[in-house]
Amino acid sequence: MNEQEIKSALKTYILNEFLPGEDPAALTDATPLMTTGILDSIAVLKVVTFLENEFSITVEPHEAVVDNLNTISDIARLVIAKKT
Amino acid sequence: MLTETKTINRPDTTAVVAAPSRLLGNYLNKPAQFLAILLQFALIAVIIDNWHLESQVLARLMWLAVVGFAIHHLLPQRFRLPFFALLSLVAVVTGVGHIGPNVWMGWLSGRISSSGLLYHFFPGLTLVAIGLGLIGLCHLPIRFAARVGLVAAAGAGLAFLRGHSQWFPDIADMWVVLGSMFMFRLIVYLYDLQHRTAPFSFSRAVSYFFLLPNVCFPLFPVVDYKTFCSTYYNEDWVPIYQNGIRWMIRGVAQLLLYRIVYQYAPLDVSTLSSSLDAVGFMLGTYLLYLRVSGTFHLIVGLLHMFGFNLPETHHLYYLATSFTDFWRRINIYWKDFVMKLFFYPTHFKLRKMGTIPALAVATMVTFLATWLLHSWQWFWILGKPLFNWKDFSFWMILAVLVLVTAIYETTRGRKRTLRPSRVTIRTRLMYGLQAGGTFCAMCLLWTYWSCQSWSEFETLMDAASKPSWSDVLVILGVFALVCGGGMLWGQSSRETSEGKRTTAARGPFPFWRSAVAVTVGSLCLLAGPSLATRTIPATKGAIARLHDDVLNARDMNQQRRGYYEDLDVSRKDNWGWQNAEEPEGWDKGKKAFVRPRSDFLLTDVVPSMNTVLAGAPCTSNSLGMRDREYQKAKPANTYRIVLLGASNDMGTGVKNDQTYENRVEDKLNAHLPDARYSQYEILNLAVRADSILQRVLRLEQEGFQYQPDAAILSVSAVDEQFIASHLRKALMQGIEPTGDYGDVVQSVIRRARVNGKMPAVMIERRLQPYVTELWAWSFRRFAQQCAQHGIRPVVMYRPAPADFAGLEATGRSKTLQLARAAGLEVMDLSPAFDAVTDRSSLILAKWDDHTTALGHRLLAEELYKDLLALLFSSSSQQKISPQPKP
Repeated sequence: MNEQEIKSALKTYILNEFLPGEDPAALTDATPLMTTGILDSIAVLKVVTFLENEFSITVEPHEAVVDNLNTISDIARLVIAKKT
Repeated sequence: MLTETKTINRPDTTAVVAAPSRLLGNYLNKPAQFLAILLQFALIAVIIDNWHLESQVLARLMWLAVVGFAIHHLLPQRFRLPFFALLSLVAVVTGVGHIGPNVWMGWLSGRISSSGLLYHFFPGLTLVAIGLGLIGLCHLPIRFAARVGLVAAAGAGLAFLRGHSQWFPDIADMWVVLGSMFMFRLIVYLYDLQHRTAPFSFSRAVSYFFLLPNVCFPLFPVVDYKTFCSTYYNEDWVPIYQNGIRWMIRGVAQLLLYRIVYQYAPLDVSTLSSSLDAVGFMLGTYLLYLRVSGTFHLIVGLLHMFGFNLPETHHLYYLATSFTDFWRRINIYWKDFVMKLFFYPTHFKLRKMGTIPALAVATMVTFLATWLLHSWQWFWILGKPLFNWKDFSFWMILAVLVLVTAIYETTRGRKRTLRPSRVTIRTRLMYGLQAGGTFCAMCLLWTYWSCQSWSEFETLMDAASKPSWSDVLVILGVFALVCGGGMLWGQSSRETSEGKRTTAARGPFPFWRSAVAVTVGSLCLLAGPSLATRTIPATKGAIARLHDDVLNARDMNQQRRGYYEDLDVSRKDNWGWQNAEEPEGWDKGKKAFVRPRSDFLLTDVVPSMNTVLAGAPCTSNSLGMRDREYQKAKPANTYRIVLLGASNDMGTGVKNDQTYENRVEDKLNAHLPDARYSQYEILNLAVRADSILQRVLRLEQEGFQYQPDAAILSVSAVDEQFIASHLRKALMQGIEPTGDYGDVVQSVIRRARVNGKMPAVMIERRLQPYVTELWAWSFRRFAQQCAQHGIRPVVMYRPAPADFAGLEATGRSKTLQLARAAGLEVMDLSPAFDAVTDRSSLILAKWDDHTTALGHRLLAEELYKDLLALLFSSSSQQKISPQPKP
């Protein structure tokens, strides 16, 4: 999977799971998710479970932080780093 | 070692970011902005000093911070962090050692020796040495697990010493600050060190642990080390500093709001008289948390001024729309701390169990850790662990509430949106109702947590049980207000302690608008009190009550009644946390000086006792009076007066010759106003916390045997409260008064539906409606008994040295009215303190409102004048018994 595919999968997941009915165009790769409360602690756990299942990676507790999960780009970067 | 890790793969966030196109405009604008920020910062320091916010140490620290800020900003970037670290160390050493201008002036003038000056540095330097040692342990070149073990062992050793701080009295002030700096931050630091998520250096470590404002605040936000590093000058300095100013002014506003709540909310369960009062108590108790959020805003704002662009610590927590939302908004740093340390690791370990079971276990573990760490925190503050069922049950109830909401959100989903415009009226209504519901539930839970005992909570429910329609309407009005707030702001998002929204997401920064608002607001806070008192003199009392940092009516009353000794030690601990703690040995003689009795008088003064009361030497005579020696039988040609009163009349806190009655006695003997008498004696029968019933009974049982010519019954506006506590103590000890006292007391007890097995606070609350009746009966009894014994009864109204609770006016008028209705002559000493503009100068200390020596002198002057007019003027002499008794 390349970066675009990862981002696309993430965007679809986030829109379906947390932002149903939201205009897909409003969610960009740089939209802050954690710092704006869209992803709270429980949502973070769901995202991590999704990442582990979807991309076959393992996320450590100390990696579930704003640096890695605040935007779709951040998350994609984490996935790519894990896969390589 | 300290510089061992440099692994963060982020751009250098310490560089000041500035768009090239703005540089020219900034060149002219920035100095003006800096000066405006400096002015605002100085104004906030003046407000803190002027309004006596928190402590004197904070006021001094603010000035140190203002000067340090100016220097820090003008330094090249690479010197700023080391300078901040150094400034923090200076703050710690001077703050812990109470080294202020007085100490320096004392040393310069020779009043304090050089070794005496160095002694002041000792506690702070000890703290710094221990702190540096702990940091050093974290960086020893050994296995990480061994380092953790060493830090844990050192922590346990220090905790042991904290528990025995009396072994080292010279450094006793250091422990609370040491605990506050290291008890949680060491854990965060080690976590980040293990995962190498942030840069480490000596300056960073010193800055992080000895954070500048920490020396003033035992309760300090758990700043995340990674965030502390990553937010350091992570954007242009103008918005960072100005946001800091905004946080500080918000903190100041919350601390002032807290003071209003503390002074005016009905926080004394024993005096609650209606459901509205009970709701006021609950609301007040919940709103007292404003002090914590206010200090946290102040702390984070102060750190902004040195480039630490930290996120908010609290976010509109009173408007949370669910329990999980409440948990996310209140003390955000704490929430993120326990999430990082407990919730995520537990959940990640258990995730194979399934989402809901893992969530349930992780949530319970997190709250259990919160409870334990809360107790750990209070151990460092109080010196003893705070383990009780109430604390445990509070955290567990909150855990269950949060868990239920979290499971609901996990299964049903929480409404989220990228655009606030999508929020409809219906959604807002739902937010409002949710905010109202959450507020009510948290208010109730918070009250349960804050009540000192189950019986206090029971008494509260007793008071709330019969609401009138008007009570219900007011309560619904408050509920509607919260719902309205929830509709408007219930959905607003908060920042996490790990980072803020990006600059782009926040939009352009309105610097000048913010600076003008803060400056105008600050000037209003500074000029407002004097303008208000000049234009509306009636506001003088209220302003003084808010302006000076004094104990509220409840804490003062409970201190007067000896509540802390009799009932509850834990509240005294809270009181101590209000920075109103009395020094060691202040009242060491309180228990030795007064002994219990088995009759309705309950206590009396131990004869021939020499001790210390409220910081002053105090001696009793062989007859059991706080007075000089007298013969039991009245000497010839002597005019003898007996004085009946309580602790202020006893002269608590002043030397033996400084009590107002001794001063008056000396003056009478110096001037001999009546030729028939060669000597005057005033026998002081006052006993601490005597109710008016005890005072009159003491006259009957003891006073008459001294053959007095006159009896002075001293009363003040706050004395009513002693009646309920007197009856409560008698009831709980199973002591029944006899004779007429028995009849009147039994009648009241029957009608108030109280008995000795009920909780103390409930007994006192139920007795409140009958206090005036007993007060009036006591005056009548006093008049009748004095008439029977042929002595002159006089009621003396003694003004309180300071009227922080605003009870004086109504209390005085009611007392005098009752005394006159009983046919008694009254000496009103109210004018005694009229010339004193600062009434707080008449009380011994913030923690003790007994009258000072100056107050006693003023009372003596007024009493002497009134006594001459009443007893020894030519017209009054006809009323005096014609022949002095042998």
